[in-house]
Amino acid sequence: MEVESNLLIVVIDVNPAQKYVRSDSKQFFNCVDSVLTFCNAHLMLQASNKACVIASHINQSHILYPIEEREGVTLKPIRQVDGQYEVFLELEKSVRSQIKKFVMSDAFTSFDSTRSADSSGNFTTCLASALGKALCYINRKERELTAGEKLNSRILVVSGSSESTAQYMSFMNVFFSAQKLGVIIDACVLGPYATLLSQGADITGGIYLRPPHIPGLLQYLLWVFLPEASLRKQLALPPPVPVDYRAACFCHRQLIDMGYVCSVCLSSK
Amino acid sequence: MGILQHFAECKSLVDYLKTLSNHVVDDLFGYPAACLAIFRELPKLAQNYVLRILYVEQAIPQAVISTWVSKAHVKEHSEAAEAISTLRVWKEVTMQGGLAGWMLDHKFRHNLKVALLGGGKQWTKSTNLDQDSKPRTVKDLDLYALERWEAMLHFLTEKQQKSDTVSKDTIMTLTHAGLMEQDENNAPSITNEGFQFLLLDTASQVWYFIVKYLETVEQRGLSTAECLAFLFSLSFATLGRDYGTEGFEDNMQQFMQHLREFGLIYQRTRKAGRFYPTRLALNLASRNNKISLDTEKHKTGFIVVETNYRLYAYTDSDLQLALVGMFTDFLFRFPNLVVGVITRDSIRQALRSGISAEQIISFLKMHAHYEMIKTAHINNPLPPTVVDQIRLWEMERNRLTFTDSVLYNQFLSHRDYEVVRDYAQETGVLLHGSDQKRTIVVKGSGHDDVKRFWKRHSKNSS
Amino acid sequence: MVNVTKGVLVECDPAMKQFLLHLDEREALGRKFVLNDLDETHLFVSADIIKVLKEKIDELLDKISVPVHE
Repeated sequence: MEVESNLLIVVIDVNPAQKYVRSDSKQFFNCVDSVLTFCNAHLMLQASNKACVIASHINQSHILYPIEEREGVTLKPIRQVDGQYEVFLELEKSVRSQIKKFVMSDAFTSFDSTRSADSSGNFTTCLASALGKALCYINRKERELTAGEKLNSRILVVSGSSESTAQYMSFMNVFFSAQKLGVIIDACVLGPYATLLSQGADITGGIYLRPPHIPGLLQYLLWVFLPEASLRKQLALPPPVPVDYRAACFCHRQLIDMGYVCSVCLSSK
Repeated sequence: MGILQHFAECKSLVDYLKTLSNHVVDDLFGYPAACLAIFRELPKLAQNYVLRILYVEQAIPQAVISTWVSKAHVKEHSEAAEAISTLRVWKEVTMQGGLAGWMLDHKFRHNLKVALLGGGKQWTKSTNLDQDSKPRTVKDLDLYALERWEAMLHFLTEKQQKSDTVSKDTIMTLTHAGLMEQDENNAPSITNEGFQFLLLDTASQVWYFIVKYLETVEQRGLSTAECLAFLFSLSFATLGRDYGTEGFEDNMQQFMQHLREFGLIYQRTRKAGRFYPTRLALNLASRNNKISLDTEKHKTGFIVVETNYRLYAYTDSDLQLALVGMFTDFLFRFPNLVVGVITRDSIRQALRSGISAEQIISFLKMHAHYEMIKTAHINNPLPPTVVDQIRLWEMERNRLTFTDSVLYNQFLSHRDYEVVRDYAQETGVLLHGSDQKRTIVVKGSGHDDVKRFWKRHSKNSS
Repeated sequence: MVNVTKGVLVECDPAMKQFLLHLDEREALGRKFVLNDLDETHLFVSADIIKVLKEKIDELLDKISVPVHE
C-alpha cells in the first residue's frame, strides 16, 4: 500500500516593476489571493498533499511557506477564526505576513532603481534562483520519505516580468535538472511572451499559459494547473504553444538565430 | 463471514454515506468539515469537476461536462459522474430546452467554499484558548491512545472478564457489532467475527467500531449528522494541538466522553475545557490511512517471517502475542523476542476458528518489520512460499464440498428428463444434470417443488 | 416411474474422486456409500456417512502432507 503524496511549489513573482502591477497595483493583491486559494485547493484534494510558496524579487528569492522552525522559538498556533479549515488559514496568514516582511526588507527599500534594469528599461526577476531553491526543497523532501511513500512534485511559476537572457544558462541548468528529477514546471505568464519559461515547460512536460484576462486568474489556475500529471492525460487541456527554441549567445547573452557552436562543450556564440 | 461481508459493504466513508438516509446526508452538508471530508473521498477526476463548477450558481448541461475529458477517457468520465451522483453532491436537473444538466447541491457548495475560503462558524470554539499549563506531547497522546485501544482489544481476548476495565456502553457497542455475545454464564465472550476483527489493522478497526457505534447513537438522543460532523472536524485536527470544549450541548459532551474512553480524544478531567485529539482520530475517513502507534514496548512492524516458516515477533505486548499465537506455534520466548513456527496444524487451528488465510496474510503484511519492507517491497514483504502455502492449506479444506440434495434417475423418456431439468434450472435448484445417464440432482430444499411439478406434468401427459 | 433418492452431492477434483471410489470399494467405512457416479468431478453418496468420511479425508491429508520445517 504505497502512500502517494503530491507536492506543489508555487513561485510567485513579487517584483513591483511587472507591467500588470504598474498599470493597476490592486491587481497584485488579487493575484496573491488567487494563488493562495489555488494552493489551498491543492491541499484540499488529499490529506497527504503538501504545498510550498517561494517569492522571487529583483535580485533575491525567499521561501515564504512553510516557515522553518528555529530552535527555542515556539510559534503560537494559528486558530480558526471562522469556518475555514485551519491548515488553509495557516497557509494564507503566513504567506501574507511573509510577503510583507520580504518586500519591506532593507534589501529592496534602499534599492537604487537605475542599477539592474536591462537595456530596454525592464526590470527582471530572480526566477532561476527561485526555481533552484524549489528543486533543493524537493530534493530534501524526497530524502525524508520513509519506505512505502512516494512523492510527485511539480512547480508552478506565476510571473509577469520580462525575461533576461542573462539568466539563460541558469535557467537551462534548472530545467534539465527538473527533467531528470521528474519534476514538471508549469508557467502562468501575466506579462509579455516568456521564451525561456515556455522552453522550460516544454522540456519538463508542463503547461505554458498566458491568461488573456488577469482578474479571472483563479479560474485559469483551477482549470488548467490544478490537475496532477496522471489526470492531465485524461482532461482536454489547452494545446501546447509553439516554442521559441532560439539559444542565447554565451558571451553576449542575446537570443540568436544563427551562430557558432563549440565542438567540445556545445556552447553557442 | 459477517464481518468480512460488512467490511466489503462499509469499507470506506463513501460506502457508509451511501447507507445513510437522505435527510441525514442533507444535515451533514450543513457542516464545512463534513463537506471537506466528502470532497476528499471523491475520485480525482470528480474532484476537478466539482472545483470547476464550484463558483457557478446555475446548472451545467451534461454535454458540456463531457467535453472536458478527452475522447479516450469516456469511461473515467462516467465513473466520476457516477461517484458524484451517488454521494448526492450534485443532482440531475432538466434545463431549459430539455437538456439534461447537473447542479451542485447548494448547501454543499456553500459549505465547501466556507471550508476553503472562510466565513461561517468555527468548528470548535478554540480562538480564545489560552496556553495549557500542562501541555501534552505527541508521545503522551500516543501512549494514552494505545493504552485505551488495547484495553478494549484485551477485553475481547480475555477468557475471564473483569468488567470494570471497560464501560457498559463499550460492551453494548461490541455486542451490537457482533464481536461479542452472551455465553452460558451470561458473561460476554468473543465470537468468530471478533477474531477476524482483531486481525484487522488499527485504522480499519477504529472505523468499523465507530460506524457500529454511530448506529446506536440515535437511541441516545444524538443526531447522527452532528456526531459525524464532529468526528470529521476531529479527523482534520492537527496532532498535538488542544481544542476547546465549550459550546457543546450535554449530549454532545456525553459523546465526547465516549470518544475519550475509546482513546480517540484525550482530556485530563471530565470538566477540563480543552481536549487533544489522538492519532486514532486523525484522518479517520481517509482512504489510504495507516495509523502507527509506535511506543517503546509496542511497534507496529514487529514480525519477521523467514522462508523456512520461522516467525520472529519482536514484541513484549501480551495482546500482540495473543494475536500471533492464534496461528503460530511458539518455540522460544525471550524478553523482547518470541520465536515461533508456522505449521500446517497451527494454520488449520486458526482456520477452524473462522479466520481466513487472506486475513492471516494481511495481518502479517501489515505488521511486517521495517527490515522486511526494505529488502523486499512494500506490496509483498513476505516470502511468496509461505504466503502460497498458507493459501494452499486453506484450499485443502475446501477440496470436497457437500450439498444436501435429491437424485432423480431412470426417466422413461428423454423428453421427461429434459422437462424436469429445465424446470429445475428455471427455479434455480438444479445442481447437476447428466444427459447420458438421464440423471438430475436437485437441491434438498427444491425437492417438494419439483415433485409437485412432476406430478402435474405426468397427470397432464397421461 | 422416476426413481427418487435422497442423499448428498459431493463435488471435488478427479483425484479426490478416485480416492472416494477406492474407499467405497474397500468398504473402509463399514459399507458401500456411493449411490451414483455422476461424472469426473461429482459423486452422489448417502447422507449418514458424511461425518466418518470427513474424518477419513482428514486422515489421508495428514498422511500425505510433508512437514515444511524441521
